[in-house]
Amino acid sequence: MRPAPTLSTAFLHPAGGSLPEPLAALRKQQGSGLVDLPLPTRKTENWKYSSKYLKLTDDMAISLPAEGKSGSSLAVPGYKVVLLNGIMMPEASDYPDLDGITIERFEDLDSDTATWLAGRLDHALDSRSVQISRLNTARFEDGLLIRLKPGAVLDQPLFIVHETQADASGSAYPRIYVDAGANSQITLVEEYISGGSESVMVNTVTELNLGEGANVTSIRLNMEGENVQHIGATGVLQQRSSRFESHCVGFGGLLRRHDLQVRLEGEGAECKLNGVVVTQDKQHYDNHTTIEHVAARCNSEETYRNIAADQSHAIFNGRIHIHQDAQKSNANMNNKNLLLSNGAEIDTKPELEIYADDVKCAHGATIGQLDEISLFYLVSRGIGRREANVLLTMAFINELVEQIPVETVRETTQGRLNQFFEQTFQEA
Amino acid sequence: MATTDTEVNELIKREYEHGFVTDIESDTFEPGLNEDVIARLSGIKKEPEWMLEWRLKAYRRWLEMDEPDWAHVGYPKIDYNSISYYSAPKRKEDMPQSLDEVDPELLRTYEKLGIPLHEREKLAGVAVDAVFDSVSVATTFKEPLAKAGVIFCSISEAVRDYPELVQKYLGTVVPHGDNFFAALNSAVFSDGTFVYVPKGVRCPMELSTYFRINAANTGQFERTLIIADEGSYVSYLEGCTAPMRDENQLHAAVVELVALDDAQIKYSTVQNWYPGDEEGKGGIFNFVTKRGAAIGKNSKISWTQVETGSAITWKYPSCILRGDNSVGEFYSVALTNNYQQADTGTKMIHLGKNTSSTIISKGISAGKSSNAYRGLVKFGPGAEGARNFTQCDSLLIGDRCGAHTFPYIESKNKSAIVEHEATTSKVSDEQMFLCRQRGIDPEQAVSMIVNGFCKEVFRELPMEFAVEAGKLLEVSLEGSVG
Repeated sequence: MRPAPTLSTAFLHPAGGSLPEPLAALRKQQGSGLVDLPLPTRKTENWKYSSKYLKLTDDMAISLPAEGKSGSSLAVPGYKVVLLNGIMMPEASDYPDLDGITIERFEDLDSDTATWLAGRLDHALDSRSVQISRLNTARFEDGLLIRLKPGAVLDQPLFIVHETQADASGSAYPRIYVDAGANSQITLVEEYISGGSESVMVNTVTELNLGEGANVTSIRLNMEGENVQHIGATGVLQQRSSRFESHCVGFGGLLRRHDLQVRLEGEGAECKLNGVVVTQDKQHYDNHTTIEHVAARCNSEETYRNIAADQSHAIFNGRIHIHQDAQKSNANMNNKNLLLSNGAEIDTKPELEIYADDVKCAHGATIGQLDEISLFYLVSRGIGRREANVLLTMAFINELVEQIPVETVRETTQGRLNQFFEQTFQEA
Repeated sequence: MATTDTEVNELIKREYEHGFVTDIESDTFEPGLNEDVIARLSGIKKEPEWMLEWRLKAYRRWLEMDEPDWAHVGYPKIDYNSISYYSAPKRKEDMPQSLDEVDPELLRTYEKLGIPLHEREKLAGVAVDAVFDSVSVATTFKEPLAKAGVIFCSISEAVRDYPELVQKYLGTVVPHGDNFFAALNSAVFSDGTFVYVPKGVRCPMELSTYFRINAANTGQFERTLIIADEGSYVSYLEGCTAPMRDENQLHAAVVELVALDDAQIKYSTVQNWYPGDEEGKGGIFNFVTKRGAAIGKNSKISWTQVETGSAITWKYPSCILRGDNSVGEFYSVALTNNYQQADTGTKMIHLGKNTSSTIISKGISAGKSSNAYRGLVKFGPGAEGARNFTQCDSLLIGDRCGAHTFPYIESKNKSAIVEHEATTSKVSDEQMFLCRQRGIDPEQAVSMIVNGFCKEVFRELPMEFAVEAGKLLEVSLEGSVG
C-alpha cells in the first residue's frame, strides 16, 4: 500500500502575526503536527467525493497579506466586523461598545484570556474535521474572540464579513471563537466574499460555545468567487437548555467544503440546522454535518436542500450520533436534492449512529427532478416554461430561505438565487 | 430473566465444544496458505488447468490487498496462515452415531423450531443412513430437475462436467480481485453450488443447498454460481433455521447470480450460525460477498435474508442492474443479540434505463449488540427513468445496544428518482402495555411485536421458511426482555 500523501513542506514555515504567547504556543504545537497530517484522498471516507478538488500547491501556502480594499456585499443593518484575508480591519468595522459583549482580536488579548482561549480552541471539532481544523490552528495569524456576558442580549445582528482578496495565489485562515454566556442571545451573520481572480484557499474555523440557556442564531453565506477553494468548519458546543439555529446558504465554486459539528452536551439543548446549496457549471459543494446527542432529552432538526445544474456536483453528508446516555432524544434529518442536468451529480449520505434505546430518530433523503405534472400545470396556465422552471425550483428551497430571520440577508439570498435560476434555465 | 437466553446460548456453545476438535488427519492440510497449498487443493479436486490458474491469479491479487476496516465491527486480527484450507469430509465413525449422543439442549431447540425428526439428525451431524442421504432425497428432486433440463450440482462437479458454462460466468459478477474476502475465496474455495436454468424454463421446485447431497461439508469457503438463462425462473434457498454446527470460525463465501433477458432469480437466505456465547466469545465470522448481475432486459434479482447468527456478519447482497427495465430487490431482517455485530445491507447499481429497485431492511438489536445497515444506491448517467425506494427501520431492545444506518446515495441522472427513509425506535411502552393487559407475557409480546415489525420481509420468504423464521426470531430473542 502506498503511504498516504502528506502536506507540502511549504505549509510548514512558521506563520506570521503577533499573537500572545499561549496562542502562539498552541499554533506552534499544531504546526509541528502538520508534518504527519494525512492529506485526504479518495479513500478518506470524509473526503471521498471532494479530495480531488483540494489542491494545496506550494504557492497556496503563502499567507495572503491583510491589505487591499474591502467592503461588504450586504447592506448591513446591524453591527459589522470586517476580516480581510483573515485579519480584522478596525477601520472597516463598525460596532459600538456594548455592555455585556466584547469583541477582541486575538492579538490584543491579555495573557489570562489568551491562556483561557488556548485551552478551548479546537474543542468543538472532532477528528472528522482534522484536516480543516489542524491546518487552520497551525496557520492562523489573528482571530476574533466574541464574548457575551450572562444574560447579554445583542439587539441587532452582528455581521462578520470574511473577505478574501485574491490578487495573488495564497491562503487565508480566519478564526472565530464565540463564547455565549448563560441566557445570552446573539444573531451572527458570517458572510464569505472574495475579490481578485488568482486561485486561493480559504481555510476557516468558527467555534461557538453556548452556555446554559443561551440562544444563538448563526447564518452563514458562502458567496465567494469561482477561484476560491473554501474549506471551513464550524463547531458548536451546547450546554443545558441552550438553543442553536443555523442557516447555511452556499453557492458553488472550485471547491466548497463546510463541516458543521454540533455537540448537545447539556440536557434539554436543541438545535436546528438548515442548509441550501446551489451549484452550476463545474462547481463543487460538499456539506458535512454532525449532530452529537451526548446528553438526554435533546432535540435536533436538520433540513438540507441541494440543487445541482450543468456539470456540477453537490454532496450532503449528515450524521446523527446518539450516545448511550442520551435517552429521550429526538432527532430528525431531511435532505432533498434536485438534479437539473444529466451531467450533474448529487451524492448524499444521511447516517444514524444510535446507542440508546429510548429515542426517536428518523431521516429521509430524496434525489429527483422537477415534477412534470406541476410544470404542466403552470405552463397550461400561460406561464412560460422557463419561468415555470424558475418558480418551481425557487419553491423547492424557498421554504428554507424564508426561515432566515434577518430580512436583508433573506432578501439578498432570494435575489441571488433567483438570478441563479434565471441563468440556469436560460436555454430551456 | 436471562435464564432461557443463557440456556439457548449455552446449549449452542456446548455443542460446539463437543466432538468437533478434529485430530489432524492425513487428509487435512497443514495450516497455512501459499501457492503449493492451492495447487494441492486444486489437484485433489481434479480441476482443469484454467481453474488452478484462476485460483492463483486471485491468490496473487489477495496478497496485495489489505483487510477492509471500514465496517462498523471489531474483531481480533485473523491469522490467515493458521487456517487449514482443506479438510476431507469427516468419516462416519467420527460423528455421533445417533441422536442419543447429541446434546439434549440442542435437541430442545430443534423441537422449539418444529424441525422434523429425520432432519434433526442431519443438522446435529449424526451419521445419517446413506440411503436417506443419496437415494430418497435424490430421486425426489433429481428426476423433475433433469426433465426440465436444470443443472443443479456442486461447483466442483460443474467445473469438471460443464466447464464452458463455469468458465463463461465464474468471476463475471464478483471478479477474482473484487475485495479482500472475495479474493481469498476465489483462491481457496472449497465447494459450493452450481445452478443453470436453461432458456424459458421455470424451475419446477425451490432449490436448496439443504437438499443437495454433502452440502454440509462445503466448508468455510463456499462458492455459489447461479445462471438463469433467457426467460427462466429459479428460486434458491440457502441455509436453514436450525442452529448449524460448524467447526470453522472464518467463513468467506461468494455468491454470484447472473440473470439474462427476462430471467428471474429469487435468492433467500436464513443464516443462523453460532453467534458466540453471551460474553461474546467464539462465534462465526461471516464475511460474505453476494452479488447478482441483471444483465438481461426485464430481468429480476431478488434477495431475501434473515440473519440471526454469526458473531460478525459482513454481508452486502447487491444487484447490478445493467439490463433495461431490470429490477432489483432486497428484503432483510438482521437480528443481533448479546455481543453480536452485524454490518449488512445492499448495493443497487442502476446502469440501464428504467431500472428499479426496492430495499426494505429491518434491523433489530438487543443485548449489547451492534447492528448496522450500510447501503449504496447508485444511478449511472445512463439510468434514464430509474427508480429506487429504500426503507430501513431499526428496533432497539435494551439500552446497551447500537443501531446504525449508513446509506450512500449517488445520482448522475436527472430523471432518476430515489427515496430513502429510515427510522429508529424501541418497542414502545404502549404496545407492551396493550399486550400485557391482554394477558400476554412480556417475552411473547416482544416476539409478537418484532414479528409484526418484520412482516414485510417475511412475506417475501418461501412459505415454509417464513413460518420457521418467525419461530427463529422468537428463540433468538429469548431472555432479552423482562
